[in-house]
Amino acid sequence: MAGDRLKVTRRALAPLGAALALPSCQEPPKPKAVAGPPGNSAVFIAKAANYRVELASKIDEGLSACGLDVRGKNVLLKPNLVEYSIDTEINTHVAVIAAALEVFRKRGAASVRIGEGPGHRRDTVELVELTGYRSLLTGFDDLFVDLNRDDVDMVRNFANRPEFFFPKTVLGADLIVSVAKMKTHHWAGATLSMKNLFGLVPSAIYGWPKNTLHRIGVENAILALNRKFRNTFAIVDGIVGMEGNGPIQGTPKAAGVLVMGRDVVAVDATCSRIMGLEPARMKYLAGAADLGHIAAARIEQRGERVQAVATRFNVIPEHKELLRGTEELG
Amino acid sequence: MSNARALSFRTVRLDLLRQAQNADGGWGYKAGGQSWLEPTCLAMLALTGSEAAPALEKGWKLLRAWQLPGGGYRPAAMVAEPSWATSLCVTLQCVHKVLDSGFDKGVAWLLGSRGIEGSPLERMLHLVGRMVVEYDPNLKGWPWTPESTSWVEPTAHALVALKKVRQQRPELAGISERIEEGERMLADRRCRDGGWNYGNRRVLRTDLPSYPETTALALLGLQGATVLPLDRSLTTASRQWQHTVSRMGRAWLAIAMRPHGRTLELPDLAPPADLCVVALEALAMAEGDKRWLEIG
Repeated sequence: MAGDRLKVTRRALAPLGAALALPSCQEPPKPKAVAGPPGNSAVFIAKAANYRVELASKIDEGLSACGLDVRGKNVLLKPNLVEYSIDTEINTHVAVIAAALEVFRKRGAASVRIGEGPGHRRDTVELVELTGYRSLLTGFDDLFVDLNRDDVDMVRNFANRPEFFFPKTVLGADLIVSVAKMKTHHWAGATLSMKNLFGLVPSAIYGWPKNTLHRIGVENAILALNRKFRNTFAIVDGIVGMEGNGPIQGTPKAAGVLVMGRDVVAVDATCSRIMGLEPARMKYLAGAADLGHIAAARIEQRGERVQAVATRFNVIPEHKELLRGTEELG
Repeated sequence: MSNARALSFRTVRLDLLRQAQNADGGWGYKAGGQSWLEPTCLAMLALTGSEAAPALEKGWKLLRAWQLPGGGYRPAAMVAEPSWATSLCVTLQCVHKVLDSGFDKGVAWLLGSRGIEGSPLERMLHLVGRMVVEYDPNLKGWPWTPESTSWVEPTAHALVALKKVRQQRPELAGISERIEEGERMLADRRCRDGGWNYGNRRVLRTDLPSYPETTALALLGLQGATVLPLDRSLTTASRQWQHTVSRMGRAWLAIAMRPHGRTLELPDLAPPADLCVVALEALAMAEGDKRWLEIG
């Protein structure tokens, strides 16, 4: 019984996390006293009851609402593909990727590719087959790059490391579209558009559970990746997300939304509010003030209002402190 | 599969590997891609015993160039950090009896590589049953990357390599102790269903599932081990064989079950684009060279 066990908080376990290389390993940087980017950030929310509805027009509307111009750009769509289980909803749904592919092509992108480096499973081919990507996306084998095993190039000074390696497909993209899943996460609190960039890191070098990122610290690694890759746009698939013991073993939670924006911090903060989580209590968001806005006053909500789509996601006991009071919703 | 089909199945894969070798002597994860240590070692293991001496010689030249001063091998040409796949190099050297000074350095690196779990705090929490990730932190296997924790796959590969080394150098100091600890680590991390997850068996009060490729590799690493009975794990592996669509998983299962006396026949499909799987499927055939599996 959890209730009669010795109370061990996640904060108390932080030093242990460094050794386990699983939970958050280091305290993330304290929230910086920086104003953040100038101006406000637009975040678009679209209702989508299920994956059978017409999604391309909603994504197209979101791109317009957020002022994204993709003409002539080499676009990399980065879904969240982790594991497959018939019993739950782990991965970005193929219908969302299919719609994004259609929209970015129609809007004049020079090229659109799909790339992912799954964090756990070695066999990416199995994952793209089980999730329907390979059978439902025309020409999938020519479109898809396994980022775990892509050719790599070196970058200097990433996350206090003098050398780090990223896939050439990632480094060559003009725009990375983080097409994430709306899920709770047992270490980070939630996994949304910013955490989704873990899949850009090649496991062929850094290990299949992305060991090196866990050693850097989950929050620190999220921030480092998002500071490195600023050429991003976020689309979060919250049509059916995951609550509880995410990102793999939680239960499906229908929020019926797509959330989009150029400011990934604002998108994740908005998703958190929709999920009933307090964004300022999420360590990685609290440390992201230089990257974007988490304050509701600095986010221009387009499309649906947060209150209209708010859907409280259950969290594991270790993350109860992230829950917002119902009076705070929105 | 008939004998003729089986021969053709393997020949097609070996031909494909010969054709896909890069000019630098290595193999990529896909044809035409950068050379990586893992597919290079697997391709060389698959080509062992076939008419492939020139290809193997080019491969050896690359591997020698990729060995770092500390004895470990680069995962790719431009990466100057030792890779877990050093285990595969050591296994390959044992199979080919390339027992030179480079081999000794590689073995020394492997013996010195270990997971970083086991801090005093971890051991204390383990003693009082308060670990969020439930495993015995006193047991260290092998990590994917230096300065990180132990995981099932690199530990299994290291066990295969060191058991091969022990056949050549039974007197080597510390080798039996590392093998025994690695076996105990795998035994400790076995899932409730009898197979293996990639890392742990239970996290945050929840049992984790096992997977075909990790179960297969653990069974491979545990050949000859007496640390736990494997009957239940072999049953789980057989069940995984029935259900998985993963060609990688099936190939590893076919390889791993053979030393345990069970023969699994791969479906007669065209070779995939993934050169690791091409090599593994060739290795899984009964006709191939099995010296690398003789470690029990």
